[in-house]
Amino acid sequence: MRRLEELFNRYKDPYSDMILAEGVSVLCSDLQVEPQDIVTLVLSWHMNAATACEFSKEEFFGGLQALGIDSIGKLQEKLAFMRSELKDEQKFYEIYNFAFGWAKEKGQKSFALDTAIGMWQLLFAEREWPLVNHWCDFLQDRHNKTISKDTWAQLLEFARTVNPLLSNYDAEGAWPYLIDEFVEYLYDKSVVDK
Amino acid sequence: MSNQKKRNFQIEAFKHRVVVDPKYADKTWQILERAIHQIYNQDASGLSFEELYRNAYNMVLHKFGDKLYTGFIATMTAHLKDKSKLIEAAQGGSFLEELNKKWNEHNKALEMIRDILMYMDRTYIESTKKPHVHPMGLSLWRDNVVHSPKIHSRLLNTLLDLVHKERTGEVIDRGLVRNVTKMFMDLGESVYQDDFEKPFLDASSEFYKVESQEFIESCDCGDYLKKAEKRLTEEIDRVGHYLDAKSEDKITSVVEKEMIANHMQRLVLMENSGLVTMLLNDKYEDLGRMYNLFRRVTNGLATVRDVMTSHLREMGKQLVTDPEKSKDPVEFVQRLLDERDKYDKITSTAFGNDKTFQNASNSSFEYFINLNARSPEFISLFVDDKLRKGLKGIADADVEVVLDKVMMLFRYLQEKDVFEKYYKQHLAKRLLSGKTVSDDAEKSLIVKLKTECGYQFTSKLEGMFTDMKTSEDTMRGFYGSHPELSEGPTLIVQVLTTGSWPTQPAVPCNLPAEVSVLCEKFRSYYLGTHTGRRLSWQTNMGTADIKAIFGKGQKHELNVSTFQMCVLMLFNNSDRLSYKEIEQATEIPAPDLKRCLQSLACVKGKNVIKKEPMSKDIGEEDLFCVNDKFTSKFYKVKIGTVVAQKETEPEKQETRQRVEEDRKPQIEAAIVRIMKSRKILDHNNIIAEVTKQLQPRFLANPTEIKKRIESLIERDFLERDNTDRKLYRYLA
Repeated sequence: MRRLEELFNRYKDPYSDMILAEGVSVLCSDLQVEPQDIVTLVLSWHMNAATACEFSKEEFFGGLQALGIDSIGKLQEKLAFMRSELKDEQKFYEIYNFAFGWAKEKGQKSFALDTAIGMWQLLFAEREWPLVNHWCDFLQDRHNKTISKDTWAQLLEFARTVNPLLSNYDAEGAWPYLIDEFVEYLYDKSVVDK
Repeated sequence: MSNQKKRNFQIEAFKHRVVVDPKYADKTWQILERAIHQIYNQDASGLSFEELYRNAYNMVLHKFGDKLYTGFIATMTAHLKDKSKLIEAAQGGSFLEELNKKWNEHNKALEMIRDILMYMDRTYIESTKKPHVHPMGLSLWRDNVVHSPKIHSRLLNTLLDLVHKERTGEVIDRGLVRNVTKMFMDLGESVYQDDFEKPFLDASSEFYKVESQEFIESCDCGDYLKKAEKRLTEEIDRVGHYLDAKSEDKITSVVEKEMIANHMQRLVLMENSGLVTMLLNDKYEDLGRMYNLFRRVTNGLATVRDVMTSHLREMGKQLVTDPEKSKDPVEFVQRLLDERDKYDKITSTAFGNDKTFQNASNSSFEYFINLNARSPEFISLFVDDKLRKGLKGIADADVEVVLDKVMMLFRYLQEKDVFEKYYKQHLAKRLLSGKTVSDDAEKSLIVKLKTECGYQFTSKLEGMFTDMKTSEDTMRGFYGSHPELSEGPTLIVQVLTTGSWPTQPAVPCNLPAEVSVLCEKFRSYYLGTHTGRRLSWQTNMGTADIKAIFGKGQKHELNVSTFQMCVLMLFNNSDRLSYKEIEQATEIPAPDLKRCLQSLACVKGKNVIKKEPMSKDIGEEDLFCVNDKFTSKFYKVKIGTVVAQKETEPEKQETRQRVEEDRKPQIEAAIVRIMKSRKILDHNNIIAEVTKQLQPRFLANPTEIKKRIESLIERDFLERDNTDRKLYRYLA
């Protein structure tokens, strides 16, 4: 407990009881990972962090205790394990959905498009989805608005259940409208045959 | 009789055996046999019935019934064979007569013989279950005469030949044939059917097959149907005269099959004379005949109905998509009403008000009316025209008729909410310009719409009427409390409640001083009695009557729009004004100002203003002055343009957009209503239910419904189920 206290104090912001952006970047360099490394997302998920680049005291303590860690060294050793968690289907699902609330702007209901695209690129690097680049192109081309929570969640379902040739895509399948539009886009651009 | 004591006495049987003379039976039989001969030879007058009966009786009693029976059969058979030969020998026409004659004779004889042999009939035959005398007599006739090889087919052919002759126009002896067919029936229904009816039907079938083929090559549809009808009537007549009644249905089926069923398609689709031609030319008689004939055959009416439906749809489609016809909305709608009337008349006159035809007609109208997206607008314009001038001077009952017809078209509309929007706009213009022909007619139509669509449809419309009434009262109050204003321009204000009237953005406009002073006085009066309200002048909707004196002293009263008034009043202080000067002074936005100036300067007969240059369009460098040479034969000249008109393309787009916007909350409300009661529902079912709920107002687009669902998910009204992503759940 005392060690966690010391650890926390190393990174915490001088004016509040939170680890903020500065502290996070020090933590990352201690761990020898880039701040954009997806492992920070996994770590945040373990901590159930409310927002990216911020950890409250409860979140920090809770997460590390759950992982059974009380030093930087032990945390560093756990990194490989955390990376491997992304390969687990169920955990990836949880982490993916967690990412929405975590990465979006505080106080906003939906995801800014750029943030969403960035997250998707990051996440689908870990779990391959052949259409991810087309998806991001499509969004930038045709949809200049934010991403809703439902669309975020349904996109993973889409990636999981519909094959890249869209042969089992069901037009009456209650997919969000944006995804229907994406399918149209793929047909239009002859990426897929109708 | 003396009064004796009663004594029982008994009759005792013979105490000795009765020996019957073996020759007795033969002798008795001979008597009877001779009698039968005499009967057949028409020589029965000398016979004693009682004696013969007794002889027959005795034979049976003495157990010689068998001999009697077989003898009777043998004798009769022999006679019939003779008769047969006589009949066979008959030539030509007399063949049937002979047959008939002999048949009658046989029947008479048979009757007598049966009476004589009655006892045998009732006892011996009963117990042995052999055929009775009468039926036996008929069977013998059948077997020995009718089925005799030389008679059988000759008889049939003779009959068929006669029928054929009659069908080709000759007169035949119907009574004779009647007797023969009756003979068949008497011999047994199966005899009639096998020996006559079936071959008759086959021959008829052949006959009509050939005839119908001839007719169809040479006649047009109407004539063909007349002929078919005639043949049917003839056959029914034929049955009545000389065939058994049960043959009627069978022979009519043959005619129906050969003449109608086999040629249905060809008849209905015949070029220049088939169904379509009849419909186009209102040939009620021909159509009625077709209906009556075709309903007799399977799928006959369905065939007629289908061709009518596709014709109606095609014609309707051309009617509504023809750009020429859509130029004048009133004419467009009138054409629709005329077509509707036409088909009503056809259905009632020729098709006996058949419900299936009414439905086919209705669904076709519904189909093509909705092919033109402007139908709702046009129908409202039609009503507007009627209510502004068309119904002037028409009796109340006739007004109702017109309005009911309009309602009928209204019911066909899929996008009733679009109609509502236009109706509101047009009604507003009518009310504000005071241009309605009859308040009663207006109210009557509102009531009809309310009955059809519910009070929500009409509550705002009714609000518009209330505002008009209230405004009248307000004006009275205003002038009542400002008696000094009775000299000077008269102001009439209509105060419109924002929610009820079609929304218009307030357009800026500088009113002439005399007018704006009055307006301010009104504003303070009104706000004095109605605190908490805000008034904004709708200068784009007003009108003005101004008196003008032109260069040569011509006096006219001009009825103009508010904008036009502002422009004209400027010329009280200047002789010439440039476009820019006018724009600056009035602050009317450019597009409205240009339209206003155009209507004042460029319209023949209404050009109170002169423009340099004299071009058609208003340019920003143009100069204007009063047209001192203006003439009109009327004192009052109407220049204002606040009349409802067909919208321009951009206006139409704008209205369409507003309609789509209005639909979004309605779709959401429907989704919430449904989900609130069902709690959980899958995607396809929501779409179906929502569409159904909104159908009285408009056809909901499934994509739009989907978008609304997503919006509701976003706002936490609904959520997707965890396990089945196609299921939605209502969040309380």
